[in-house]
Amino acid sequence: MTINLNSSNVGTRENRLGSITGYIGSLSDLASQSECGTLRGCARCFSQSSSCLSMCALSELNRIRNVAVIHHGPAGCSVVASLQEYLTKQLAAKRGVTTNSVYIGTDMNERDTIFGSTEKLRDIVLQVNERYHPEAIFVSSSCATGIIGEDIDSVVDDLKADIDVPVIAVHCEGFKSRIWATGFDIADHAVLSGIVKPPKQKRNTINFKNFYESARDEIIEIFSHFDLEPIFLYCNSSIEELEHISEAAATTCICGTLGNYLGNGLEEKYGVPYIHSINPLGVQGFEAWLREIGRVTDRSEVIENYIQEQRAIYIPQIDEIKRELQGLKAVIGMGPGYTFEVTRVLNELGIEVVWALAWHYDKKYEDGQVPPAMKYLLDNQIDFEASVSDQQNYEVINILNKYKPDLFLSRHPGSTVWASKQGIPAVSVQDEFMIFGYKHTLEFAKTLLDTIRNRSFEDNLAKRVKLPYTEWWYQQNIASFMESIK
Amino acid sequence: MAQLRQIAIYGKGGIGKSTTTQNLTAGLVEQGKKVLVVGCDPKADSTRLLLGGLAQRTVLDTLREEGEDIDLSSIMKEGYGGTKCVESGGPEPGVGCAGRGIITSISLLENLGAYTDDLDFVFYDVLGDVVCGGFAMPIREGKAKEIYIVASGEMMALYAANNIAKGIQRYAKSGGVRLGGIICNSRNVDREQELLRAFSAELGTQLLYFVPRDNIVQHAEIHKQTVIQYAPGSHQAQEYRNLAEAVINNQNFTIPTPMTQERLEEILLEHGMMDNIPENYHI
Repeated sequence: MTINLNSSNVGTRENRLGSITGYIGSLSDLASQSECGTLRGCARCFSQSSSCLSMCALSELNRIRNVAVIHHGPAGCSVVASLQEYLTKQLAAKRGVTTNSVYIGTDMNERDTIFGSTEKLRDIVLQVNERYHPEAIFVSSSCATGIIGEDIDSVVDDLKADIDVPVIAVHCEGFKSRIWATGFDIADHAVLSGIVKPPKQKRNTINFKNFYESARDEIIEIFSHFDLEPIFLYCNSSIEELEHISEAAATTCICGTLGNYLGNGLEEKYGVPYIHSINPLGVQGFEAWLREIGRVTDRSEVIENYIQEQRAIYIPQIDEIKRELQGLKAVIGMGPGYTFEVTRVLNELGIEVVWALAWHYDKKYEDGQVPPAMKYLLDNQIDFEASVSDQQNYEVINILNKYKPDLFLSRHPGSTVWASKQGIPAVSVQDEFMIFGYKHTLEFAKTLLDTIRNRSFEDNLAKRVKLPYTEWWYQQNIASFMESIK
Repeated sequence: MAQLRQIAIYGKGGIGKSTTTQNLTAGLVEQGKKVLVVGCDPKADSTRLLLGGLAQRTVLDTLREEGEDIDLSSIMKEGYGGTKCVESGGPEPGVGCAGRGIITSISLLENLGAYTDDLDFVFYDVLGDVVCGGFAMPIREGKAKEIYIVASGEMMALYAANNIAKGIQRYAKSGGVRLGGIICNSRNVDREQELLRAFSAELGTQLLYFVPRDNIVQHAEIHKQTVIQYAPGSHQAQEYRNLAEAVINNQNFTIPTPMTQERLEEILLEHGMMDNIPENYHI
C-alpha cells in the first residue's frame, strides 16, 4: 500500500484496507475469509448512533500545542469545540505545559451553501492567524462543504503565500466512511504531508503514538534504560517536535488502529522503522514489543536484560493473581486494536473470552499485513465467537444477556454501565495505558479480581433498573438487523 | 376562478424549454390567462423573452445581498401581457450548490406569497438534467402537479426525457405529480413526429403538441421577444397559440412508465430513420 502524500485526500478504511462494520461469526472465520477475499461487511437495516470520523481527526490535531483547527461547516459540526477547549487545556495543565490551540467553526449558513463560501473561509483563516498566531492551521471540510464541492484545497494553496506557518487542508466529510478510525488516518495524513520535514540527522527518539500520554513519565523512565527518548504524539506535541519525527529511531503506538497510518507512512516515506509487533499490553505484548524495539534500534542485549530484571519482580505477582482469575468468562467490546490485544491479555490471565465485539475490523493494516494482534491469536490457536458491531449497544446488550459472562470489558465512555445495569461486573479500559507493561498488567489483573469480588454495585443496580429492551430482543439473534446474514 | 395549475417544464439542456415555455406563456396570456413563470436555472435566462431582457435581480442574489427580509416586488417583474416573472438564479458556475439554491428560492417564494389567487398558471422552467434533489424541488411537496417534457427526435433528447420520467415516477407515488405529455420542439430529424408518438406511447403518455422548426423563433429571440409579440401574424405564432390551447384543454395526466435503454434504442431503430433512401442524411 503506497501512501500518497501529494494528495490532501485520504481514501477511507473501507477502500484502502477493506475494513468492515458488520459481521458475525468467529475469529478464525473472520481471519480465513479476510485471507481468501470472501469477507464482506454487512449493513444494518437498523442502527444506533456511532461516531463521526471528523471528531477523531480534528480532536487528534487539536491536541497538538498552539495550532488552529478551522472546521468549515455548519455550526453543529464543530460541536466538539467546547470539549476540545476543556480537554486540551486540562491535558496540557496535567503535563505542566501550556497550549493555545483553538478550534474554530466557520458557521456555514444557507447562503454559504448555495453560493459557496471560500472567500469567507479565506477571511476566517487570515483572521485566525492574526488573532491567535498559531504554529499551524488545519482547515477541514465537513459534510456540507463536501457535498457542494467547496474548493478548500485552492483556498489553502492561495493562503500559503500570505501565512508563514503551515496551512493544511483536511478532508473530513463524515459520510464518506462508517469507520471513525478513518479520522485517525486523516489526522496522520495532515501531519505527514503538512508538518513533518525530511530528516537531517538521526536521533535516539521513539515516536510513540498514543491518546492522552497518561504513562508518559513512566515510559520516559523505561526508555532511559535503553538510551532512547519517547516522543508522545499528538497530545501536547509541539509543531517543532512533529517536524522532526522523521529523524526518530522508530515509531510505535499503543493501539494499532490509532497508529498504523503514521507508523507505516514514516517508514515508507523516510525509512523510520515501524514496530510491527503486537502492542505492549500484557506480558506477551510488552515483551514482544520491547524485543522488536531492541531489534530495530540495535539494543537487543540491554533490552533483554531489562526484561529479565522486570520479570523477576512482576511475573510472580501476576501469577499469583492469575490463579484467582482462572476459568472466568468475559465478553469484550472495543475498537479492533484493543479488542484483539485485550483478548490476548485476558487469555494470558486465564480468562476465556466467549464473545468479542470489535467496533470495526481492518482486514489488513497499511503495510498490507494482517493486524499483528489478530495474527498472534490465530498463530496461538485462540478462537472465540466474534462480531463486528459498529458500537451498536443493542447488540452488546443482547450478547451480554445470552452469555451472562463474569466480566464485561469495554473502552468507550458510557458503554460499561449497560453491563452493570444487567448485573454484570464491568471494567472500563478507558486509559490506554491501563494494561501497559508488567506493572500495569499486574494492576489490571488486580482490578479484574476486585471487580468480580465486589459485586454489590452491579447487583443493587440491576435490581433497581429497568432496561428499555423487551424480552423479544433478548430472544433474537444479533444478526436480525444485519442485512445478508439473516 | 379556475384552480391554479402549477406546471413544471423539463427536458434536455438546450432543447428549447425556456423558448417553448415563454412562447406558450404568450399564447396563454393572449387568452386572458394570468401566468407566473419561475426560472429555475442558475443562468437566470428563463424569462428573457417575456421581459425583453434579463431580469435585473434573481431571488438568490437578493437573498444574498439583502438577507431574508425581502419584498416580493424586488424579485418579481412584470413582463409581456402582464406575465409575472421570477428568476431563482444561483451560484457562479463551479461553486456552491445550485440545487440547494432552487430549494431555498422556491420556499422563499411561497413564504412571500408569490402564488396569489388570481393566477391561472405557474410555470417552473427547470435546468436540463435533474442532476440532484434540488432540481426535483418543483415537483415535490405538492408544488407542480403537471409536467411537460420538451423533447425532439434526437436520441439524447429522448434519452433525457426517459430519465426525467424516472424522476416523475418516483414523486408520482407520493406527491401526486403527473406527466401531461411530451412537447416536441422539432429538430427536423427523420420521421420525427412518428418517432415522438411511439416514444410517448411507450412512456404511457401523449405527444401533446408538435412545434415545427421555424427560423422566426431565432429572430424573435435575438429581439428579446416571444414569437407572438415579434410576429403576431406568423405561422409560428399560431403554432404557439395552438400549443397554449392544447395545454388549457389537456385532460390526459398519467404516471409515466419509463423504458429500458434497450427498449428506447429499439424504438429509435423502428421509427427514427427513413428506410428507403440509403445514405440520405439530409435534415
